[in-house]
Amino acid sequence: MIPDITQQGKPAQTAPQPSVPNAPVVYFQGVSKSYGRIHALSNITLGLTGGVTGILGMNGAGKSTLFKLLMGKLRPSAGEVKLFGTNPWKNPAPYAKVGFVPEHEKMHDWMTALDFVSTFARLHGMTRQEAEQEAMRVLDFVGLADVAHKEIGRFSKGMRQRTKIAHALVNDPELIILDEPLQGCDPLARTTIMNVIRELGKLGRTVLVSSHILNEIERITEQIVILHHGKLVALGNLHAIRERLDQIPHTIRIVGEDARNMAKDILDHPAVFGLRFPNETELLIQTYHFGELHAELPRLIVENNHRVHLIDNPDDDLESLLNYLAGGSA
Amino acid sequence: MSRTDEVPSLWSGLDRKAMAVAEFTVRQQRKRLSTWVVLLVGIAAMGVLTMFYIDSMTRDYEAVDNDGDSYDWDMDGYPNGQERLYGTDLLDADSHPGLLSPPIPPDDASVWVNEDDFDWDALNEGSVGYDDNGDCNVEERTDSQKDRNGNGIPCDIQLDLNRYSGTYLISTDGNVDEDPDDEAYALEAIHRSFVLAIGKLGVVFLIGIFVPLFMATGLIRQEMTSGTMHFMLAKPIARGEVFLYRILGFLAIAWTYVTLLIVLLAIVTGLAGPSEGVFRFADLGVWLSVWLAALLAVMVYSMLFCMLGVLWKHGMVLALPIAAWELGMILTTLGAPDAAILRFSVIGWAMNIVDAGAALAWSDTPLLIQMGMWGGGNGPLEGAEALDIFASTPGLNLSALATVVISSLVMLGQAAACWLLGSTLFKGKEIE
Repeated sequence: MIPDITQQGKPAQTAPQPSVPNAPVVYFQGVSKSYGRIHALSNITLGLTGGVTGILGMNGAGKSTLFKLLMGKLRPSAGEVKLFGTNPWKNPAPYAKVGFVPEHEKMHDWMTALDFVSTFARLHGMTRQEAEQEAMRVLDFVGLADVAHKEIGRFSKGMRQRTKIAHALVNDPELIILDEPLQGCDPLARTTIMNVIRELGKLGRTVLVSSHILNEIERITEQIVILHHGKLVALGNLHAIRERLDQIPHTIRIVGEDARNMAKDILDHPAVFGLRFPNETELLIQTYHFGELHAELPRLIVENNHRVHLIDNPDDDLESLLNYLAGGSA
Repeated sequence: MSRTDEVPSLWSGLDRKAMAVAEFTVRQQRKRLSTWVVLLVGIAAMGVLTMFYIDSMTRDYEAVDNDGDSYDWDMDGYPNGQERLYGTDLLDADSHPGLLSPPIPPDDASVWVNEDDFDWDALNEGSVGYDDNGDCNVEERTDSQKDRNGNGIPCDIQLDLNRYSGTYLISTDGNVDEDPDDEAYALEAIHRSFVLAIGKLGVVFLIGIFVPLFMATGLIRQEMTSGTMHFMLAKPIARGEVFLYRILGFLAIAWTYVTLLIVLLAIVTGLAGPSEGVFRFADLGVWLSVWLAALLAVMVYSMLFCMLGVLWKHGMVLALPIAAWELGMILTTLGAPDAAILRFSVIGWAMNIVDAGAALAWSDTPLLIQMGMWGGGNGPLEGAEALDIFASTPGLNLSALATVVISSLVMLGQAAACWLLGSTLFKGKEIE
């Protein structure tokens, strides 16, 4: 485990007021959630305030469960969940300061983006005019101002995701929770959404964003929480985790025209400790110094005039990271 | 965040949320095909029933000559009734009122068909009725023939209430009110039967139960199943409020619909029904009570079915036995409006309201039924049995106004209980 904890959980506040001064924005104390014999989350302890935090985990790791506990949709089987220092179960008061982007794809397709955002904005107690004004502001922020009057049913996946984000941002929340906001988005929407999230982080908001794709999160934030089979397996800086990962054997895959010739030139490099040829065109390099070798590879290839189609790190994904964290090798 | 100058209060906040959710619900339902199908099927069903009514209002009713007064046995051109009135021989062609001095011109036979109509002005115990055609009080008849019921009054009808059955025992002196106007009776009785039948069974029961069944059961459940409820529940709004405001939005549609339907029915029946003027204003009291009962029934059922939808994802399955129970209860109200079991239904209370309204607007309905069932001594007239089925005395042993007030309060209580239960269930629900 990586004990690099940059956030510290504060002791539980007992006062049930909507806002408890100095309470962490998000606080889990020994929280478990199970459905019969299936444990969706077990014994999560976590405190977060400020900045963008990536929640990483495979499908079914418990990311959505974590968020739903926070949003009072689910009741913890054990432990204590606090949102701004208050228990969110059966208590919608703290949601005034929260924006939530659920993972569900189903939306009210018959509404226009402006209707959708402003209707739910009115649940914050805004008047119709205020709500429309705020809705236009956030739709502009996510880059949908020009299609604000179009029906959501005619939107692309990325536009729908951005509409959901606008809906969550309309109350200018202190905490924004995004459940898989990049899933199914085209590259352009992905970039826009990532920029929006980074922007929110810069504004000093607490942002929780979940994903099952490591390099997506990497492009947004360095601060991550990793969940695996309902357990919190790592918490902290992604680079610190990665550096440790570099210390263990790591694989680089090169697909080119003549794998054996390429191998001769690469074998000399001190970082390489093993080579394999699964077939004529493919080369698998094993190294203990992944970062160093990865930086050198392009030079080696160009100097020796090799034709290469692809350089790939089959291990550099969440699965191998999880395997490593769970005690195995990458 | 920009705010206007007005000071936000708890009330204005609630008000804005209520409007937002209700408005959202109205717009959402409006966009659904199923809404329009349900509402149009309701209108079509009521329309078909109204056609039957229009047909029975424009039909001719056979005028029955109960006493044979229109016949002319001796073929002298004078109907028996006219001969009987002037004391001439019914069977002798050479004896008729034309030979009297001064001579009496013969009547057309049709004058003697419905010549002795009901003239009961109240359904009280004692003496009612009057011999219009004079065939009871003729000189040849003895005093004992003229007072066959023995109440000391010649040529009347004696009504006695049977305290066990609640019906009246009719004993007549004979030849009194024996030839009523069949068509006038049928039109009035069928008109009232229809207004009560479509008001009670059509609007209050069928519309009142099926519109909420199809439209309110999913108000919360559908959103939970599709996942769209997450958007609303991510906002600072209590689930009890969501429940209530969704119902309010539904009621905005359903109440408007029910009101329109009743206005249409009131106009059509007011114009087509038998009346001395152009429009039957007297019926408006009945329609008003049907309207009140329908609004309350729609409200209670929508709260109830929405609650069942929260309770279980197949809430409709739970709603159907309730609808069946209510059907049993409304049939019970037709026969036994004071049955104690009706207290455990919604429709029983709604029927109390309609019956009380009808009792106020048409206070003579029991009399009309009693006359028609007797029918001049020859059995029920057309329309009498239908009216007997659909008209009931209000089930509570109270004045009409008190019945309306108490029944309305009970139904409001039922709605509030369903809301409370529904919001409690919803609050404790985990939403995936």
